[in-house]
Amino acid sequence: MTPYASFFYFGLLLYPLAIGLVLAWFGKLTPGILLGLTVAMLVVQYSRIQVEGPNALDKVWTVAGFSLYQLAIASVFLHVRQRLQSKPAFWVAILLSLLPLALVKVAPTTVGVTLIEFVGVSYVTFRSLDVIIGIEDRLITALSSKQYLLFLLFFPTISSGPIDRFRRFAGDLAQPRTRQLLLADVDSGVQHIMRGFAYKFLVAALIKSHWLEPAETGHGMWSTISYMYAYSLYLFFDFAGYSAFAIGVGSMLGIRTPENFRLPFLARNINDFWNRWHISLSIWFRDHVFMRFLLAATRGKWFRSREVASVAAFYVTFLLMGLWHGVALRYVVYGLYHATLLSIHNAFGRWRKKRGKTDPGFGWQVASTALTFQLVCFGLLIFSGRLG
Amino acid sequence: MPANTARRMTTAERVIDVLADVAEDNVVRTDPDIPLFEQDVLDSLRTVDLILALTREFGVDISPAELDRSLWATPKHIVAFMEAKVGA
Repeated sequence: MTPYASFFYFGLLLYPLAIGLVLAWFGKLTPGILLGLTVAMLVVQYSRIQVEGPNALDKVWTVAGFSLYQLAIASVFLHVRQRLQSKPAFWVAILLSLLPLALVKVAPTTVGVTLIEFVGVSYVTFRSLDVIIGIEDRLITALSSKQYLLFLLFFPTISSGPIDRFRRFAGDLAQPRTRQLLLADVDSGVQHIMRGFAYKFLVAALIKSHWLEPAETGHGMWSTISYMYAYSLYLFFDFAGYSAFAIGVGSMLGIRTPENFRLPFLARNINDFWNRWHISLSIWFRDHVFMRFLLAATRGKWFRSREVASVAAFYVTFLLMGLWHGVALRYVVYGLYHATLLSIHNAFGRWRKKRGKTDPGFGWQVASTALTFQLVCFGLLIFSGRLG
Repeated sequence: MPANTARRMTTAERVIDVLADVAEDNVVRTDPDIPLFEQDVLDSLRTVDLILALTREFGVDISPAELDRSLWATPKHIVAFMEAKVGA
């Protein structure tokens, strides 16, 4: 069953929320109970009602096997890291953790691989990699299985994020929840869920039926341009609506997942856009790929200048981000497109700074925001696959 | 900077020196509460330079994964972060 897509799902949500809130009111919502609620929801979420017989539960076993596999990698790597620092061990852990996702992305239709695949596998993989990187950098020095599994599988965010970070998540679990805090969480939860309904079931649904679907069938340049805006707006309202549901439900259970979107179409420039669009994904790539690559490149003097290194870092980061969406030409082009825009933006920023330019006028800001919106929509048109 | 002057400086002063140097902006000396990322004083590239420079200056490891931007939001925040890190 797809989360947050049917009223049946929302009805079902009332059970864990009611149990969670009552227990939280009396200060009895422990991580163990939260894990129990998560497992119960996942069993319902991943069982296939339309399939008769023993196969109805096969995805439940997939999720269970996958998470125990990731737990084993993290635990063994932590054990190794406490004794010695070994780059090969780090890379082995990273590759093993990535392996199921890589198989799903590269050969999704192979018989064995269809068994591994489940809704949310890519988001869960990001969380497991976050833990391995945290262990390597000695930010995570102890790992409780309960906490780890809850972080990996937390049911409100398992299917499409936001991609939380382990240390932040563990901080929420450790914080004592006073009744005052609980009421603030409920308030934030209700507001997010209301926003979710407005975005996903009102705005996105209207755009889809009245604009996106008619534009899908049209031909010619004008219809493609119309489709470009319809698709961009639909994608935003649908995904931001979904994210609001996930954040809202999480907040009621005491996990304050960070925001995933902050008015991305009002971004002042392309760099600003990536601080506002699918934020949890983009900061994951910023911290774990872009900055790590740049640090290693600078320390190892891989490139002749800082500028070349930063351009290389943009291409590596966005190529990987593109491939994460799927192994297809359009995602590669989408990644290269954004890496190019960011490289140009960065060179332009340096040039301006060199000439001592500081605050641009209001007119320039409006023009820059409008241009960014066009460039972003064109990127999403590439992403949509309409251009072939 | 020579070692003997470094010894007399506090951690806070050393951090601010490094930050001003990396950001190429003296505003960090005059305004300890300036939001560094919002005002474009720092971006990802300069943050990498800052990590390298602070690692050199203090000889401690800093991971890009621990730099929550709310933790490094202002010069004051970075000073507090480094003071906790070096135990000053």
